[in-house]
Amino acid sequence: MKAFVLAERTDAIAELCAGARTMADEVVLVAFADVQVPEAVADKVLHIAVPEGSVIDDAADTVIAAFDAEKPEVVLVEPTKHMKVVAGKLAAHAGASAITDVIAFEGDVATNMYFGGVGQKKQKAAGVAIYTVGAGVFADAQAAGANAVEELAWVAPAKAVKLVSSKAIEKSGVDLFKADVVVGAGRGFGAKEDLKMAEDLCEKLGAGLGCSRPLTEGVDWLPTEVYIGVSGLMLAPKVYIAAGISGQMQHMVGCNRATTLFAINKDKNAPVFKQCDYGLVGDINTVLPALIAAL
Amino acid sequence: MKIVVSFKVVPDDQDIQVSGDGSLDFSKAHKIVSTYDLNAVEAAAQLAAANEGSSVVGVTVGDAKIDDSKLKKGILARGMDELFMTADDACADMDAHATAAALSELIAKVGDYDLILCGDGSADNYAQQVDVQLAAKLGLPVVNGATKIEAGDGFVTVERTLEDVVETVEVPLPAVVSVTPDIALPRIPGMKDILAAGKKPMNVAGAEGAYASAVEVVDCKAPEQADRKLEIIDASEDGAIEKFAAAIKAAL
Amino acid sequence: MDFALTDEQELLLESVREFCDRYFTEDVIKNMYETHSMPQEIAEAYRDAGFGLMGIPEEFGGIPTDKVTLGLMIEELYRRSGCMHILYQNSLSMFDIMEFGTDQQKRDAVDHYMETGWPIASLSISEPGAGSDNRSMTCVAKKQADGTYRLSGQKTWVTMGEVLPYTIVVAKDEDPSRENGAMSLWYIKMDTPGVSTAPLHKIGQQCIPFCEVYLDDVVVTEADRMGKPGEGFMMLMKNFEVERAFIVAEQVGLAQAALEDAAKYANQRIAFGKPISKLPSIQEKLADMEIAVQNTRNMLYRTLWKLDNGESVQLDSAMLKRYGCSECFKVADQALAIYGGLGYTTEVRVGRIWADLRGNMFGGGTHEVMAYIAGRQVAKKYAD
Repeated sequence: MKAFVLAERTDAIAELCAGARTMADEVVLVAFADVQVPEAVADKVLHIAVPEGSVIDDAADTVIAAFDAEKPEVVLVEPTKHMKVVAGKLAAHAGASAITDVIAFEGDVATNMYFGGVGQKKQKAAGVAIYTVGAGVFADAQAAGANAVEELAWVAPAKAVKLVSSKAIEKSGVDLFKADVVVGAGRGFGAKEDLKMAEDLCEKLGAGLGCSRPLTEGVDWLPTEVYIGVSGLMLAPKVYIAAGISGQMQHMVGCNRATTLFAINKDKNAPVFKQCDYGLVGDINTVLPALIAAL
Repeated sequence: MKIVVSFKVVPDDQDIQVSGDGSLDFSKAHKIVSTYDLNAVEAAAQLAAANEGSSVVGVTVGDAKIDDSKLKKGILARGMDELFMTADDACADMDAHATAAALSELIAKVGDYDLILCGDGSADNYAQQVDVQLAAKLGLPVVNGATKIEAGDGFVTVERTLEDVVETVEVPLPAVVSVTPDIALPRIPGMKDILAAGKKPMNVAGAEGAYASAVEVVDCKAPEQADRKLEIIDASEDGAIEKFAAAIKAAL
Repeated sequence: MDFALTDEQELLLESVREFCDRYFTEDVIKNMYETHSMPQEIAEAYRDAGFGLMGIPEEFGGIPTDKVTLGLMIEELYRRSGCMHILYQNSLSMFDIMEFGTDQQKRDAVDHYMETGWPIASLSISEPGAGSDNRSMTCVAKKQADGTYRLSGQKTWVTMGEVLPYTIVVAKDEDPSRENGAMSLWYIKMDTPGVSTAPLHKIGQQCIPFCEVYLDDVVVTEADRMGKPGEGFMMLMKNFEVERAFIVAEQVGLAQAALEDAAKYANQRIAFGKPISKLPSIQEKLADMEIAVQNTRNMLYRTLWKLDNGESVQLDSAMLKRYGCSECFKVADQALAIYGGLGYTTEVRVGRIWADLRGNMFGGGTHEVMAYIAGRQVAKKYAD
């Protein structure tokens, strides 16, 4: 079996190549632009240089040409917006549908979320299998390979998108995937200033600060990149502390793989108290300072 | 400019019941327009308002039940001029590939258009794939993650907010653009909009063919709840904070 | 008899729910009760969705609406938000201006509303010595030799009197004595010399501020008069009937919110080894609450339907207000009982609703005077 890996970031390349190795005996990585490819992750590295003024999405035609030449049976894709376009175009070409944001594999059956975690869908591809897979799913797999690099000739799309500018988003620098302890802040925080309490708690615990959707959508209290839940981060830290989070499914799917789950909420009927190990019923405004002092 | 906006009708997830065996029961669920598609509809309406002489046409495909008079009026009240709908059980539970096929046939009935807008992802599958598959089917360029759209002469300038960068791109028209929920806050339709909606053209028809899915659903159930300790204490109890702090320390 | 709602009514209610969910979060509500106000953002969003233009004639930019639909909208505005906000009260003075004002006054009122999201005028009706007993009113307008009028007196419980730029004052013509029933409506700018205010503090409905208004030889002209001379009170009375129905729409919406909270709590609260909803005493309360809410609602819709059909509701509106406001208050009281001690804390909202609902047994005519109005009508109805 041959697998393609389509990824644009180094961490994802390493993990998806390792995952591909669990499924296929031949792993072919498609690497885009000037991404740094880790040592010894794939048998073959097909590199696509993206011309100045082009978007990475438009590498799809080049990927399709390589796909036709290599004929992989499975394609693992990093779930970024660029790669989702490439995956979609490839799927359309192959008469397939990508199975997106897979959280687990059992042979050729892939599980992903349905209605933001209300359900879980187990699906099987009829023909070529194209999956987008987020960080953590193949965390335990080992990558290997000679990384034989091959340069692909750019296949220009019929109707190109013109890249006018690209501006890096300033990041908080926190990689919540790497944090053992994560504090999630929710609507219980009435004002942006109150987040100081959550930051103080993080400092005390060496934790990373994330949040539920209401704190990044509409209000800009925290950057979108730390949003935990469906279509955001799906974490599995050692300790997760949900502060002022009611516990909607859409959020909980992003943190319920934590080893130990703590919850603080003033509403004792909040759904989060049915999904945690330790719950503290109280107003975060009074509880958090006391907790920080007690830690 | 003529803007087509694609939306999906889904069961309201508030009404989904989990049966004893973990299967999902949608029988009590109302049909609603998928939440993030409302942002796309609003973006279309605002783009139309910013470009004189524009119109907005809504398109959707789904099972026979989506042909619901209240639902149609409800979506038309949100800034659309006309609606095209394929309501047929042949269009139930389609994957992205099948949905794109059904949508492309429906859009052929709309006539000429400049831009097709899609939402960020549907409430059920959230696959973020129909936009791309539809563009591929229609042979159009596509970009996703749009947080701003401005009309130019024969192109749109789109600001895309991606994971690490914000890209500004020019997309030749006609094109497919999918938008993030942040692009526009959906309007709240008032009585005037609601009354006007009933008078707008609603073109509803059955499917012309069958649309095969490329993916087989083996199983769909509510996830099993992780086994948690569920030790809940009231913060006002004596020593509650200390107990909670000790539990955190022990888990580190 | 058709109790079904139209698609349009249901969609309107969906919009109302979307509006309430978006703007009336518990934090915002808490702040509104503390600061005796409502965020500007909400006033503007309410205006933008066209809710505040409902029931105002089309020629002045409004959206003509039947009374049943208005009632449904008001009920949902209060049920879904679970708080006694000012939004519907804002409409009351608009309706009065639309009923009695000159075209210029109507246009000014709508322009002001579209610009600010707030009504242009408050209503100054009650006096410290004349609430239900309006004949005891002493506020008076006396014509001067130069053709102007001088207005003197004191008004109380004037909602938003300190905030809005104008107030509509009802005053007796020339003679303040009890025997004189001739009154007129005057449209007065709050910064006119002689007009002053003092705040009053409520035990409920704190986000709807009211005040006293003092009128000391305020000079007004014929142009400031609203409607016909001498008929001021009769005009207000006519609008009172529909206003009473709309107050009950607020009341039943909030009672429904309290009922929902209490029933949910009763299902969750364990006492004596089982949810308290299994206890007969609690079941009796829940049954009585549901009956009261449904009865009030049915009476309300029937009264509004009669209004829409041009029938007299003099008796209906008084009975509705007397029955509905007190029964809905009792619903909140029983909700409080179901919550037990918790209900008497600020941790849950039923206590707030309880205090708010008690207030509607005064506003728009007291519980007691409703019996007087209705009783007279009933006697007349069955007279030989």
